[in-house]
Amino acid sequence: MSELRQIAFYGKGGIGKSTTSQNTLAAMAHYFGKKILIVGCDPKADSTRLILHEKAQCTIMQLASEVGTVEDLELEDVCKPGAAEFHPDDTTITEGYIMCTESGGPEPGVGCAGRGVITAINFLEEEGAYDEELDFVSYDVLGDVVCGGFAMPIREGKAQEIYIVMSGEMMAMYAANNISKGILKYANTGGVRLAGLICNARMTDREYDLAKHLAEQIGTQMIHFVPRSNHVQRAELRRMTVVEFADKSDQAFEYRELARKIIANDLKVIPKPLEMDDLEALLMEFGLEEEVEADAIGKKATA
Amino acid sequence: MFICGYHFPASLGNKISHEQVVERVTAEAGDLSDVSYAVLISENRDGVKQEDLKVEKGSFLFTALADYYKKSDIEGEYKMIYYTNKYQMSEVSKAVDGEKTAAVCKKLDDMLLYRVKVA
Repeated sequence: MSELRQIAFYGKGGIGKSTTSQNTLAAMAHYFGKKILIVGCDPKADSTRLILHEKAQCTIMQLASEVGTVEDLELEDVCKPGAAEFHPDDTTITEGYIMCTESGGPEPGVGCAGRGVITAINFLEEEGAYDEELDFVSYDVLGDVVCGGFAMPIREGKAQEIYIVMSGEMMAMYAANNISKGILKYANTGGVRLAGLICNARMTDREYDLAKHLAEQIGTQMIHFVPRSNHVQRAELRRMTVVEFADKSDQAFEYRELARKIIANDLKVIPKPLEMDDLEALLMEFGLEEEVEADAIGKKATA
Repeated sequence: MFICGYHFPASLGNKISHEQVVERVTAEAGDLSDVSYAVLISENRDGVKQEDLKVEKGSFLFTALADYYKKSDIEGEYKMIYYTNKYQMSEVSKAVDGEKTAAVCKKLDDMLLYRVKVA
């Protein structure tokens, strides 16, 4: 049996992180027979819906508030097997399977969402969710690492390899650089490493060049460029991954290739985040920001 | 890291030279004397064919495409090329083949999907 690998997908909110992670993990199970546990670390609880064919899974925090405390929960209450081919008992297509759990969070505007992540991971560990049969545990983490709670998988050394989902858009690049700073902060104490950028493409001009350049500057690789495809939306409407929806489609093969690379990946680095000036210079070089004269900064447009 | 589908060990770092890529791909491709042509077709997002492009024999791009085609398990006469691979092939070819493949590489750098057939 291979050693358990704990990976995490980080990225700016709305970048397609959960879609990318679920499709990639589905490909790891479907084509490569990997056994996976997904730990959704987003209060939206949308990290597992395509695997479960459900709208949203009941979260650990939600269930804990119903029964009183998290100690009153059983693992079976919060950890669900994937639907159809991702169920451990269904081996018609693959020996691989995917188990799903969502940390959840507090009501909007109340409390600390990061607490949910911390509580959930501790509970899963104590209850033996990380069993010996698993090949991968995958954390799908909300947005940026501005909150220490969301940095939990990194901070506590849970996730060993981080994949940042980004695109060739300015804010996605800023977020990728910020997440690298978070990884750097805990790299020496917890052993976490940056394993690559995944470009979930918006299909903008020179997007590949930009993503690759950022990856090189940070010290990592742009591991895969995932093109935009209508198949992703079509599959999502049916609450499915592309791999299940159309496993011979071009897009399914793109996810298969990304899955193959993640399984074989050994380039795990301590990142070298860019200073803001360098990041802005990069964005200007690739036309995402326009350079302005120093004396024009802060001036209103002339009529 | 991964270039043209091949794994380059982490000990080589995150900047693999074009020479290393050419050496690896050429070695993996082996004898291509039985391959006489490589043709690319481009498609837009709706799957509508845009144009045919011939790739000059003897170029790195030709070797990389022939190798990709032979190793790919994607079904069909024309095999879809992963976007990552087409950009990487183009980048290396522009550097090592110069004018020989410049026009084709410029096309490969766009956002269209490409399929390849070699025979």
